[in-house]
Order: sequence, then structure tokens, then C-alpha cells
Amino acid sequence: MKKRTNNWHLLWVIALTDFKMRYHGSVLGYLWSLLKPLLLFLVLYVVFSVLMRWDVENYQLHLLLGIILWNFFAESTSAGVHSLLSKASIIKKVYFPRYLVVLASTVSAFITLLLNLFVFLLIYLFSGMSFDLTMLLFFVILLLLYFLSVGASLFLSVLQVRYRDVSQIWDVLLQAGFFLAPVIYPLSIVPENYWKYLYLNPITGIIEYSRDVLINHQIPDLSGTLYLFLFVVAILLFGSFIFKKLVKSIAEKI
Amino acid sequence: MEAVKVNNLVKKFKIPHLRRDTVREGFVNIFNRPRYEVFNAVDDLSFSLEEGGFLGVIGKNGSGKSTLLKILAGVYEPSSGEVSTVGRVAPFLELGVGFNSELSGRDNVYLSGTILGLTKREIAEKYDKIVEFAELERFMDQQLKNYSSGMYVRLAFAIAMQSDADIFLLDEVLAVGDKDFQDKCYAKFMNLKKNAKTVVYVTHNLDSVKDFCDSVLYMKDGKMEGMGSSEEMINLYLS
Repeated sequence: MKKRTNNWHLLWVIALTDFKMRYHGSVLGYLWSLLKPLLLFLVLYVVFSVLMRWDVENYQLHLLLGIILWNFFAESTSAGVHSLLSKASIIKKVYFPRYLVVLASTVSAFITLLLNLFVFLLIYLFSGMSFDLTMLLFFVILLLLYFLSVGASLFLSVLQVRYRDVSQIWDVLLQAGFFLAPVIYPLSIVPENYWKYLYLNPITGIIEYSRDVLINHQIPDLSGTLYLFLFVVAILLFGSFIFKKLVKSIAEKI
Repeated sequence: MEAVKVNNLVKKFKIPHLRRDTVREGFVNIFNRPRYEVFNAVDDLSFSLEEGGFLGVIGKNGSGKSTLLKILAGVYEPSSGEVSTVGRVAPFLELGVGFNSELSGRDNVYLSGTILGLTKREIAEKYDKIVEFAELERFMDQQLKNYSSGMYVRLAFAIAMQSDADIFLLDEVLAVGDKDFQDKCYAKFMNLKKNAKTVVYVTHNLDSVKDFCDSVLYMKDGKMEGMGSSEEMINLYLS
């Protein structure tokens, strides 16, 4: 009874509409999705580079990359938390696989991420960096980051329908995460015996390994990458499990 | 062949006396389960509908008609019992599903059409027909928020009626529009009937039931009160 033939198309249409609507009516439109991380970058760069004088080579690239990756995680999961509730009107009226709206919210944030990475590339070249093969590993890390967001969004979205304060809690966790992950600071300024705790947070690995392959031209730590991979798989499985369990009655609870 | 088959269908809703929506309340009251009443919106319903049949569903408010339609559409899961449908189902529980008032009429045709299950190609092929049927040729690039309610409804209905589905689930969609447009809608319904589409039609408009329905399901308190010819059931309903 639930045969639909256009699921991927539906996913794309919802994601694109969400992306279009985000800056709809603003004069600068899509430019905002570039301007927001860039302005944050500028503020933090002035504060930490000029005032605090951290002596890190290519600090501007470390910082920008950290902000862009963090921004994707924060934006996609915040949109993910609300994804089911914000589509309540169609969920109550039409059947389609519900995970599509959760995926759509992460896809729409992913479009922003790609635009931001393009800007990063320009600044990267402007800073006199060169390409090499280890950079290809960055795509693997991007994939891990994307599925981390999907897994988190899956269980956050169904829990939010049941407990409306999940989004508030998640906001606070994101605030904390911004400082607990090496977004604005390079890990090297933290005493080495704390690193293992910071690496428990998957975002730490994602940001540091991205810096390794893109800026330091290094192969990332193997056991750390394996931990990251297993973490993402676990979150995906956990997210799908909770989602499947709770989504059945979603049209009544929403 | 049976296009729709419903077997001992039950849909229960829990009506809590006090709804707990926050984590704190959830934890504080973890041992003190909420008291709730169970309400059977659909209660042990069984019927079947032949392919090409036009079934009317009538009954008072709260008799479970819309819940039945939502279960057929796959929006609600049955609490128990079985529902099977053969072929593609087009649910029209509301006009303008997925409409976004900030977008243009054109964009909304694609958005709403996709949500209703049409493919991109189908929409592109039928776009002109939709616009013509809705009589909105001049307004397709205007934002939906500037449409009058009549224009909104016309566009919504035009999209809905382009579906190539085998089974149509219609919930009171005719309650709108001026006389001319209503006639057009009725003509479209006749078309569905002629093309041997299976239709489940929930309504309070008994005249349209007489005009279209081969058989009528009369519901009362979630149960079947009777099923038979429209004449018979309408008399039973009115008595």
C-alpha cells in the first residue's frame, strides 16, 4: 500500500525548498550562507590572532576549517531536531518514508557546507598552499561527518516530537561542544595528557584529521580514525533503531 | 478484484488526562504512569471494495471516517487488524498539501505534486493542464500568499486531480469553490468513475453521495452501522 516511486526526488525537492526558504526575502540571499561563517571567522581571527597572539602556522586556515566543519554539524543537527515537527502538516496528510524529511534537513545544510568549502579553497590557494594526494582523504572525513549528523538527527528528531525540550538541551550541548572541540584553537595548545579526553568527542577527530590532511599534509592517526569510524557507525545504528521504534506513531503525536 | 480490503480494523487513541511533554515531567512521573482513556476511533471494521468502485463514507462528526481514511493512506498505523490496497494510492485528505505561501504558484505545483507522489516528469507533462484547469494562467509566477482563497483551492484541486493513481482517497474536497468550479470538479469525479478508478469518498454532502457512489459505508462510533446502496444508507442515516 505504501508504494511510492519518487522518494529520492521528494528528498531533493524538500531539501532544496528548505535551502531556498532559509534566506528567502533577504537582500543578500544565498550570500548569507557564506557571509555568516566568514563574519564569525573574522571576529574570532581578530580576537585570537591579533589580541591573543597564538603562534600557529596558518592559524587562519585552521580556524576557518574548524568553523566551517563545526558550523555544518551545528546547523544540520539543529535543523534535524526540528525536521519532523516542521513538516507536521505533510506528515499528517500523506504517507512517505519519514526519514526523508530528516535526511532533507541534513542535505540542505550540506549544500551550505559545500559552498563554504569553496570559499575555504580560495583562501587556501591565496595562502600559498599546494595540493597533494593526502587531501583526497578529506572526502572520507566529510562522509563520516555527514553520517554523524544524520545519525544524531535521526534520534533527535523523533525524541523532539515526544519531549519538546530536546531542542533546548541540544542547543546547550552545541554551545559546550563549540569550546570542547578544537574549533577556534588548535589542539596543540592543549596539554597532551588531555588529548585523549578531547578525542572522545568525534568532532575533535573530524576537525583535527581534516587539518592534518588539508593543512599539515599528514596522514591522520590510524587508531583515531578507526575510533571515529566505529563511533559514526554506532550513532547511525542507534539513531535508526530509535527512529524506527518511535516513528510509527509519529502522525498522532506530532 | 478487490482494490481495498479492510479486516477487523481497530484504531485506538490514548487520551491522557494530562499531557506530559517535557523531559522533566517524564522523569518526575516515571513511577506515576499517566492515567489515560483508550478511545477506539475505528472499532472492528471490516469491508472490501472492488476495483473501480466508488465508495461513499458517511456518518456524524467523530464517527471515525477521517481516521479510516488516514489509515488507508498509510498516515496512521492500525492498532490491530489489516488493511490492504492494490495499486498506487493518492490521498487527498486536505487541499494544498505541502503548499508554501512564500513560493510562486509554479513552484508550488512542483512541490505539492512531488509530495503527493507524482514524479518530476509527470508534473512537467501535466503542468499546462493543471494551470488550465485551475484557470490561473496569469498568476503562476505570483507568490501563493497573494492568491485569493478561491485561487488557492483551485490550484490545489487541479494538482490533486492530475494524479494517475489507482485508488483515490477524498476527504470533503468538494466543500469549496464557486458554482462553475464545483461543476468542473464534479465532471472530474465523473471522469474518475468512468476511468474505473477506485474511490473512497468521505463527505457530509449527501447529494453528491447520491450522484456518485455505488455503495455507501455508514459509520457510527467507529463501527459499521451499515453498508449498501446510497439510497438505503442515506435513509438509515437520516432516520
